[in-house]
Parts: sequence; structure tokens; C-alpha cells
Amino acid sequence: MRRIFTKFSVLTFLCLLFINAVSAQDITVRGTVSDGTDKSTIPAVSVVVKGTTKATQTDVNGKYTISVPANGTLVFTYIGYTTQEVPVNNQTTVNAVMASSSQQLEQVVVVGYGTQRKIDVTGAVASVKGEDISKQASQNPVSALQGKVAGVSITNNGAPGKSPQITIRGTGTIYGKTSLLYVVDGVWYDDINFLNPADIANISILKDASSQSIYGIRAANGVVLVTTVHGKLGDPTVNYNGSVGIQRITNAVKMTDASEYATAVNELYNISGLAPLFVNTNLGKGTDWYDQVLRSAMVTNHQVSVNGASEKSSYNFSLGYLNQDGIVENNNYKRYTARLSNDFQIFKSLKIGYNVTGVSSVSRDAPSNIFRALYAASPVVPVFNADGSYGDPAIYQLGNGSNVNPQATLDFYNQTNKQYKITGNVFAELKFANHFTFKTSAGGDFSQEEVRSYTPVYKATTSQLATNSTLGVDRIENRNWIIENTLTYDNKWGAHSLTVLAGQTAQRFKSYTINATAQDVPYSSEGDLYLSLGTAATRSITDKGSLNTVASYFSRVNYGFDNRYLLNASLRADGASQFFGNNLWGYFPSVGAGWVISNEDFMKDQKVFSNLKLRGSWGVVGNAGVPINPSTQTVDQSAALIAYFNGQPFTGAGIRTIVPPSIFWERSVGTDIGLEMGFFSNKLSVEADYYSKTTQKAIFDIPVLGSIGTINSSIISNQADFRNRGLELMATWSDKTSGGLTYSISGNIGINNNKVLNVSSGSNPIDKGGEGLTSGVLSTRTVVDQPIGMFYGYQVTGIFQTPAEVLASAQTDAKPGDFIYADNNSDGRIDGKDRIFLGNPNPKYSYGLNTNFAYKNFDLTIDVQGVAGVDVYNGNLSARFGNENFTKEFFDSRWTGPGSTNTNPSANLGSGRNYLANSYWVESGAYVRLRNIQVGYTLPEEIVSKWKIKKLRVFANAQNAVNLFGYKGFTPEVGYNTAAGATPTSRGVDINVYPLFATYNVGVNLTF
Amino acid sequence: MKTYKNFNIQRCSTVFLLSIVLISSSCKKSFLDVDPQGQQPAQQFWQTPEDAAKAVNGIYANLRTWENVAFPALAIESIPSDEADKGSTPTDATFFNLYDTFTVTATENTFLSFWTGQYQNINLCNQLLDNISKVSMDEALRARYMAEAKFVRAYSYFRLVRAYGGVPLRLHVPIDATEYNIPRASAPEVWAQIELDLTEAATVLPQSYGAADLGRATKGAALGMHAKAALYQKKWADVYALTNQVIGLGYTLFPDFEKGFRTNNENNVESIFEIQSELLLGNKDASNSQYSQVQGVAGVPGGGWGFNVPSQVLENAFETGDPRKNATIIFKGETTPQGDLIPNTNAVPNDRYNQKSYVPFSMFVSGYNEGSQQNIRVLRFADVLLMNAEAANELSNPTAALISLNKVRARARGSLTNVLPDVTTIDQTALRSAIYKERQVELAMENDRYFDVIRQGRGAEVFGPKGWKANKNEVWAIPEAEIERSGNLLTQNPGY
Repeated sequence: MRRIFTKFSVLTFLCLLFINAVSAQDITVRGTVSDGTDKSTIPAVSVVVKGTTKATQTDVNGKYTISVPANGTLVFTYIGYTTQEVPVNNQTTVNAVMASSSQQLEQVVVVGYGTQRKIDVTGAVASVKGEDISKQASQNPVSALQGKVAGVSITNNGAPGKSPQITIRGTGTIYGKTSLLYVVDGVWYDDINFLNPADIANISILKDASSQSIYGIRAANGVVLVTTVHGKLGDPTVNYNGSVGIQRITNAVKMTDASEYATAVNELYNISGLAPLFVNTNLGKGTDWYDQVLRSAMVTNHQVSVNGASEKSSYNFSLGYLNQDGIVENNNYKRYTARLSNDFQIFKSLKIGYNVTGVSSVSRDAPSNIFRALYAASPVVPVFNADGSYGDPAIYQLGNGSNVNPQATLDFYNQTNKQYKITGNVFAELKFANHFTFKTSAGGDFSQEEVRSYTPVYKATTSQLATNSTLGVDRIENRNWIIENTLTYDNKWGAHSLTVLAGQTAQRFKSYTINATAQDVPYSSEGDLYLSLGTAATRSITDKGSLNTVASYFSRVNYGFDNRYLLNASLRADGASQFFGNNLWGYFPSVGAGWVISNEDFMKDQKVFSNLKLRGSWGVVGNAGVPINPSTQTVDQSAALIAYFNGQPFTGAGIRTIVPPSIFWERSVGTDIGLEMGFFSNKLSVEADYYSKTTQKAIFDIPVLGSIGTINSSIISNQADFRNRGLELMATWSDKTSGGLTYSISGNIGINNNKVLNVSSGSNPIDKGGEGLTSGVLSTRTVVDQPIGMFYGYQVTGIFQTPAEVLASAQTDAKPGDFIYADNNSDGRIDGKDRIFLGNPNPKYSYGLNTNFAYKNFDLTIDVQGVAGVDVYNGNLSARFGNENFTKEFFDSRWTGPGSTNTNPSANLGSGRNYLANSYWVESGAYVRLRNIQVGYTLPEEIVSKWKIKKLRVFANAQNAVNLFGYKGFTPEVGYNTAAGATPTSRGVDINVYPLFATYNVGVNLTF
Repeated sequence: MKTYKNFNIQRCSTVFLLSIVLISSSCKKSFLDVDPQGQQPAQQFWQTPEDAAKAVNGIYANLRTWENVAFPALAIESIPSDEADKGSTPTDATFFNLYDTFTVTATENTFLSFWTGQYQNINLCNQLLDNISKVSMDEALRARYMAEAKFVRAYSYFRLVRAYGGVPLRLHVPIDATEYNIPRASAPEVWAQIELDLTEAATVLPQSYGAADLGRATKGAALGMHAKAALYQKKWADVYALTNQVIGLGYTLFPDFEKGFRTNNENNVESIFEIQSELLLGNKDASNSQYSQVQGVAGVPGGGWGFNVPSQVLENAFETGDPRKNATIIFKGETTPQGDLIPNTNAVPNDRYNQKSYVPFSMFVSGYNEGSQQNIRVLRFADVLLMNAEAANELSNPTAALISLNKVRARARGSLTNVLPDVTTIDQTALRSAIYKERQVELAMENDRYFDVIRQGRGAEVFGPKGWKANKNEVWAIPEAEIERSGNLLTQNPGY
């Protein structure tokens, strides 16, 4: 594959040579570019000789020099200013005065299947510039969006190479696909972790149903449109961006040391009426497992790109390399990306081009349960004994919850995950009859993933051993393609502007997974890791696959009158193979209207608003990413149904499910009302949105009577309505002072209220959130009139202090030091009917504050981000299967005898009814953090130009350097464990979550 | 330029039109009509004799699920008794204590999982009974398959009615809403159905199978299970008649009590019904029995999790010198007859472990459940003999009772001469006590004791000190979640 790229790049460079042939008879022109209002000079203005590729930029003092034909014209462009064209007319000094454009008027945003002037947009669309993404230390472009856009809630997963969980305007689906739709250069993806953030030019987030509606079938969770970097007019520019950094755990929770642990366990045994486990509790510090296994981890990032363009073609070629160590020993992720795009203007009317990205990644994985193991591991167990063997928890009789030595877990864990992906599109764009553009594009996404794990024969501890070696190989292949044709009519006459879009797409998604294992595979080198070297009888193989197709037609009309009245309407029809009969086709309409009040005559004389626009929209979107064929009753022929007669296996089969009569997609109907305001010549811009989005007929489970005898306790069907309703506010102040300080301060906040409106089974709840908890106790409940997945359990009113108090209570089986639960139904007994809602795992408020400052050669970025109105279930502390470790904080505040505390229980957390879901385990998950701080210094041009360098900037940044939260676990940023099959109904249960870490980078941006 | 442009437009328009036509035509049903991937639709099932065979196989296989043989079964059927304690470390799986101390409430999860586990068996049986008529196949085989399904259905209802009293009686796969949510049948109605199924099964099932079918339900299994159902209803004459029928089928006691529980002696001469389990290399999902694993010696590689450990009460219950004590209980520090040393160290948290579920550690294959090879002994001939003895005694036939009882003692005694002398009393009360006692030690750790004591009417006497209350603990709670789902159509048992 790399060979092909080499050929491509050679080809590109050859093209360049031809394209960049220069004409003669030039003169050298110098000049200064300044701001029309405050007369300050403007650096980095693009100066292009019209009709050529010749271009330069103004320096920090706003000066430029360029060689230009004596009769040529210079074009000055800078974001936020009206583009200026100045004829040279034989002058050698051409100064330009740039007029600040009304940003709202000229700013262009990317929308579905096209672009629109910001002023013409009637929905809620947020744009994030590529540089704001690449400035973050995040390796994942989605993660970099955290705190940038109101209404976009991101829960990071710290594991290298893993993507965060993201929702736009709340959780609107449970069983449907929860991922957003990412459209990169016209190709649809569920995730964009394959993209190098530096390759992104712009991200456009479609937040309201009317903007999303044009993507009908797949848009319900929100749509993110990614535009990649394409060559810009001018000479070839070579960019190098590199950084190296270190990642360190931050806000670590202190666990008890050996002496404290032994004390707590003895108390626990005493409470259970048992002899103390530790005769001597004076055991010193013991092992700090987090310290033992976690490390400061390096991250290195290099990206080189070459781009440029002429009138006839543009090109961009980039190579990226990321090497990220995990904070767990041995954990590492490497990603190599190569990206090439070319556009060719074959004729004035015809442009063709392609984008292609190749990605290869190698991950050396961390054991999936390692963070829980670290929390649970007892400090009395040494990492290694004096004789070099592993410390064995079993000889300390620590029980099943803390029976592993995490170091041994790591040392004998060997899993690599290799992924290859090639994806991209080719397109042709034809303009004809003045107003028409026809575009056709064919895209593909072909990827392969190989997961290989090997367990050797070993014996580390009593519970960590293997008597046979095991090799597991999983291969996953995805072959997806999309064909898209659009025809656009664009015309302006008088005060009218009209754009009409009609389009059609066809898509096919095919996935195939094969899993194989064998035992007794020898291992002397990687070359031995073949299944065929294992014992034949132990080899096993299973596979599965999915295939679905989509055909779609869509159309949109945008009409504007006099930059004052705007009207948008669209309709999309999607047919999806996973549905049948009347449900095969779905229709997704939208309408939007806008009124630019500031352009009205009656506003001419006012000075307050430089922009005032009111917009409203309504739309319908779908989520076809529902489980495929759930209404097809299938025969279960799983291995668990193999029967044995006379010791021999016989295939068994059975029908062990009931299915809904038919299933169709989820529909979301959303309304959005927005107000956009600009003050003080748009130095201050404010955008406020109110939205309400209802997912109708969402795929939801209704509980099935156990006596039906199905293997699932629920069936899923279109049987619930959810609503997300909220407000978003975004305000940006950008200005520059006469002293030369340019700055912008932007704040955003999203408030979302999630609610289950209706479930066809009525008030029957769905209880979830038991993954990893003691006895699988279910900690969340989803029921009508409440948000999805509310924490649900007993209300703790205090702690039993004395046996007499226990006897007088409704919990006569309790022990002093246990939780006192409220008898909420006042029936004199404490049972499941006393449970109440304890907290909400869906963040109500998410906010960000993003600032940029530039002064002379220095620049500074400070981003703050946080959530509030959210709760977390401290599963790590509550899950007790044996003698798991305790946090120091708990140890210091635990109940130790009558009168010691009426808030915290005794060390007996896992017994009696203490482990049940209750209010003690539910804590606030609110946090605020310094998401990113970056300081940059651009070396003076006088210096770097001597080295033939256009720009050299050095920077240092820190991500997550400061985090403030009250939660007693490692991080309040807790999603739901998709690996354990959890859905948004299990959100917020903290167990085995990747700890929070901070990243400190230094780097360089270099442009030739 | 102009010409170029025109030419271009024409050509591209043609391409455009073509592509629209091409794609439109492909967007017809054919493009969107995709076959289910890798799943057999149910409409294709119930057509061939092989389908029917697979369906029966599935019924047997399902008997070794977690709900049927592991934690839920232990919580409902064993740990609350006086013969077993929770085991493992004190803080591990403490929900068992709620059952052990009778403080459990109706919302505890295990009530639902045990309930559901039994109904999963029943569903598979009902699927077969409802659909097998669609298959064109050998009539005798069809009848046998149906009888096998009825046996498993009866066994599952037996476990349900013991645990919960009356339960919803599902005899068909529900097809419409009225059949979906049904109220509890009374306990006598459930018992009657159990007896009906077993009667029908016994008339069809063969006395034995060819080697290839070893492990299927036999006539003896149906009769023996029927006897047990009658025993729980104190239908002494029926118990006596049914057990005599079983005795007449030629079962004998396996000579060595301890060895009878090892994997190499599965389906032996004493075995009436066993749940068949194996370790199938290369197929972990088929090696899914956790029966031995959850009870296996903790802290020893190849052992297990160490739950459901024999209690001091059980240890004390054995008569001096009864070889069954050492065959039933693995003592910490001992070396098992198969040569496994149970280290007397902290690593092994309990003093006693269940030996009847024990599989030698050498049979452990890493990555698989410990002891997944072990068959679960559901009904042994010794149980039938003791039922026979009890019924005879209740029918005032002590002579017959003593014959059966002493057969069991004689086998236990083996070649020893000075232990377990024959019982000779013909006093009905004394003999009844002797039989109860014999059941306690002979069937120890086989999930029999708890409900046995309750049916004997001695719940308060035996378990009272642990918290058992009369007029409540005769049955467990109906799972609260199930009551909620039924919209309160189901009623809760008294006291919960």
C-alpha cells in the first residue's frame, strides 16, 4: 500500500513542476496592509497575483514583498475582511487598506451537501476551525471538540487509540447507533479516529434537526461534517508540525497502605463475627499498585504536509506519525497516516479530484480489566516475593475480588490490535448553463482489523496461571461504499437568491468478523503465532457478518430575499435494507426560516446591533442504525445448546427469543429557535438557541416476563419516546487593542434536559447498570417521566451506631456501621419498594470557555471546560467480592464505632445490604478543568527568513493540567462500557474507567 | 473553448443520466433486499427430523446453565439449608447470606434468575411440544422426543413449585397477549401437571438407550421423578408404587460411594438422571457448566470459587465411621483419593468443600471452567430407595421400609463391618427419623436437603435457629420484578 502512495506523491510533484512554470517580465512590489478602522497593520494577509499561483503573506508588521507582472493585479485576502483587488499599474509600492467585513455576512459554513453563507443558515450549525482542533493535545479529533461547542457533550476514554463517547443535544437513542454521523469529504463514517487532526481544515457540527435532515436516515445523533485540508492557491508550502509530550496521571486517588488496609479488613472480619485476618496490622506501606503499574507515558506526533494550488489544480499530501504510550506499562499505540488529495480543473466547467487516506495502526493493548484490578489490589501483597516470584493474593486469603497481582496480569498479557484502512473518494464536478452544478462522487471505506492475543503457559499466582497456551485471532473486515450524485441550481437576481439541490445516493455496508482460537501454540518467536501450530482438537472458529444497503433521494431549496428573509426546506427519502414492507422507506422533511432584522430599514439608525437574526427550524431525522432484523425470529444454534450423550457433543438448537412484530427506524422530530446577535461591529457575537427534540418510536426494551422463558429479559421494539430539550448560549468577543494585542474570548454553555416521555409498556421500568457491581446489583432505572438511566436505589439516612438501634429499626439483619435506609413507602419494611431516584448520569450543563491571545510574536490559548448537574455512581468503591482495597479518604472517614460518623459506613461495604444501589454511592460528577493551555512563540521573520523558513513557531501546551471536582473516584468523566454490551441506560457507573491524565507537550510548527 | 464546453456538457449529461438510470434501477427492491447474515430464520426450522433432534438436544443442554446449576440453584436450593454455608471469603457474594439467614426480600435478583432459568427450560420444551407435529418423521421417535420434553418440563416445574409454590403454568408457547400474561396456578395444579407430564413420559420413554444416547431421560427417570413429586405431596401409596416400579427396572447401587461421583463413573448403574456436562476442547461455550467451578476448592489451581461449603452440622450428622463423610466433604489439609492435596494454608479460605461436585485438579484446562466435565446427579437410585422406605414406613410397612433403607446403608458401609449397622426399628416414628437422617447424609450436598426438611414439616425445627419462619419460608418470594412486569397480576407469597 505504501508503494502506491509513493507513486502518487511522485506523480503529484511532477504535476507541480509543470503547473508552476512562471511567466517573465515581473517587477517587485512592496507594501503594507492595514486595517481600515483602527489603522493597525495586519499580519498573515494572503497576497496573491491574480490568475497565477504566485502568493505570499504579510509579515508580523503587515509588510509584504512580491514579484508581479507590471500590469498584474494583487488580491489581498484575510478572514474577517472583505477581499481586496488592487491593480499594480507599474507601481512598486502597493498598500492595501482592508475593510472589516461584516463577518456574519461573508463567513461561509459547511452544511449538508454544500456550503452556505452563515447569514443564510436557518438551523443551528457550529463550525470549528482546523487549527482549533490541531492546537489541542488530543490525538483524537473528536476529543479535541470538548468544550468547544455548546450542546456537544464528550466523555473521553483515555485509552490510546480509543474514541470518546459523544452526544449532541442529549441522548436520543439507546439501542440505535449512538455514534454521530461523520461525513468526511462526502464519505460516511461512524468514527473518525483514523484522521490526523492536522489534516482537518474545518469541522461543521449540524445540531438541529432541520440541518441534519438532509442526512435523513443516519442523522438522529447529529452530523459532523469534516472538510480536510486542500491545497491553497500559491507556491508549494511545506509544513511540519511536531510535538513530543508526556502524559501523567492526575487527580489520582490515594489508596490505603498495607497497615491501614489490614486494619480495615480486620474490622470488616470483626463485624462479620470472624477472627481477624491479619494478626499483625503493622505492615508498613506495602505496595502502591497504581505507582507500580502506571507510568509517565510519552507521546510523539509528527506531521509533514506539502500543499499548493494553481488555477488548474491543487494538491495536498501529508504524512502523519503518532506514537502514544498508555499510562499503563506495555500499552502503546502507533498510527501512521498518509493522505493525498488532488483537484484538477480539467476545463473551466469541469473539476475532478480525489481524496485518499491510508491509515495503519498498531496497538499493544492494556488488559481490559486492569484499572479495576489496580483499585482492588491489596497493598499487603508484594509485587514480587524475595525469591523473585509474584506476590500471591491467595496466600493472604483476600477473596475473589482482589485475587490478582496486577503486575502479573500485565506481564502475561499479550494482545496486539492492528488496523489498516484505506478510504476516500473520487469526484467530478461540472458547472453548466451558468447556474447548475452537477457533482458525482464515489467513496469507499475498506478496513481490516486484526486482534491477536497470546497467553503462554505460566503460573504467576494461584488464580493467574495457564496450563495450556492459547492463541486467539480475530479478524474484522469492513467494506463500505457510497455513490452520491447531486445537482445544484444557484441563482441570484435582484434581491432574490435561490439554491436548489437535488441528489441521490446509494450505500452498501458489509462487515465480516471471524474469531479463531487454538491451544498449545508454542512461542519462541512471533513467527510461531499460527493457529495451525496448536493442538488440532482445541482449534475453534466462529464468524459473523452483517450486510445492509441504503438508497436515498433528497432535495433542498434555499431562498433568500434581500439578505433579510430566508427560507429553507428539504426532503429526504431513504430506503434501508433492514426494514420491510411499509417500513422500507422513510421520509425526512425539514423547514427553516430566518429573519435578518439588522438588515431591515428600521434598524439602520440603531447602533446597538451590528447583526441581529432570528431563525427557526423544524425537521425530522432518522436512525436506521437499529439492531438488524430484530423482528426476524431466528433459531439459536449456539454452542451452549450442544448436548452430550455418552460424552459426545450433539448440536442443539432452540427458539429462545420472542421478537417484536416489525421494527422500523427511530425518528427524531426537532424544533430549534435561534437568535444571532452581533454588537460593536461584531466584536461581540452572541448566539442563543432553544431546542426540543423528540425521538419518536425509539427502539427500547420492554421487560419480558421471566416466565416466557426467553434468554433476554426484554424485547426491543419501537416502543418509547424520549425528549431532549434545552438551551444553548455561545458568546464570543474578539478584538484587538491599539497596543497590538489580538484576542478572542468565547464562552458556551449547553443546558439539556432528557426525559422518557412514553413507553408502550407503560410504567414498567428497565433496570440496568449492573456491569461489574457486587452481585450485578442494578444501579440505574429507565422509566417514563425520568431521564434515561437514572440512578435508582435506597436512600441512606444515616449509619447504624448500636445493636439497639438496629433492633429498633426495620433492618433487623443490619449490623452497626451499616447504612440506614429510608422506609420511603412507610410499610415498616426495607425492601425494593423503598428505592427512589438518586441521581442523573446525563450532564445537565456542559460548558466551555475558549480564549486566544496574540501579542507580537507570542500567542496564548486557554480553554476551560466542564460539566455540571451530573452524577456518577462510585462503583469502584461499592463493588466488593472479597477484600478489595479502600481509598484513603474512605479509610479516614469510615465508621469505627458508635458516634464515629453518621455519614460513612464501616469497612463492611460489601455485606448485608450495604452493597445495594444507594445514595451513598451516587456522587456529583461535576467538574471543571483547564482543558488546554498553550503558549506559542513565532520567531521573527527576519531571523527565520535567513534559513529559508517562512514561519517557525515553537509552543508548549498542557491538556487537563488542572481539574477540579468533588467526586471521590479517579475521574468523574464516566461513560458506559460498550465493551460489556452496555447502552446509555448504564451510563455513569464508574468501574474500570481509565484514570484521568494530563498531557504536557512541546512542539514546533514549521513552514517552508 | 465554447465547443469544448458544450461537448463536455453533453457528454457529462449523458453520464449523469446514465448513472441516475443505473442507480435508480439498482435501487429497486433488489438492491435493498438483503438476506439475514449468518442466522437461520425460524420459518426454516421444524421441517426435518434433524431439526427435531436438535431441539431435543437444546432442551438437555439448557439444563446446565448458570441458573440451573450454579449460584441461583445454590441460593434457592442449598445454602439456606443447615448442611451448607456460603463459603468463599466472608465478603464474597454476600447476597447468599440473605438466603442463609432468611432476610432476603422479593427484589433480590436471584429469585428472578432462578425463576427465569426454569422457565427457559420450559420454553424449549413447549417449543418442541407445540411444533414437532409439523415435522414429518418417525412416529415412535416423535413420541419419544415429546416424552423427553415432558420429562424436562416436569422436572423444571418441580423445582419451581418447590421454590415458589404455585407458579404460572405455561404449557404452550404464548402466541397472543392473553396467553402472555397469566396468573399463578395453584400449587396443586402445578403438581398435577407435573404428574401428568411424568405419567405420559413414563409410558413412552424407553427403559434404556443404546450407548450413543446415554444420558437421555428414561422411563426410570420419569417414574423416579414422579415418585419424588408424589413424595412432596405425601401421596405415600403413589410413592411406594412408583418407587417399586423403578426398583423393578433393575437399578443397583454403585458399589463405591465416593467413586460414583467421579467423572469416569458417570451414568453408572445407580444413575437415574444426570445433567450431562463435558469439557469440549476448542469450544468454551459448550463447556459451560459452572456447577463444579462455583463449589470447587478455592485457592488451588484447578479448584474453583469455593461456595456452598459443607457445614459443621453436616459434618456432625454422619455416624462415626460413615465413609460417606469423607466422600462428601473435602477437608482442608487432606489429600483426595485422586491425589490432590488441599493445602492447609490461608490460601484455602474454608475448612470444608463439596466433594460430590469435585473434579480432580489435573483435569483442569486453563481457559475453561473448572470441572465443567462433571455431570450433575439429579436423581440417584439411593434416593429412590429412601423414598421407597419412607413411603413404606408411612404406609405402616416397616419391613419393606427397612429393606430399602438398609440397602443404602449397606452400600455406604462397603466392606467395613463395624460401621453403619442395619437399622432394625419398626417403630414408625423412630424409623421415620432414621430415614430422614439417612436422606441427610446420603443425599448431602445434592440440593435436596433444604426442601426435604420443609416437606417433612420440620422447617422451623431444623432451620428455625437460622431464622426460618413458619407460614412464610415454606416457599420463597415470587420475584418482585416479575410481579411488576405482570402489572400485579401475579400475587406475592405471604410474608414477603
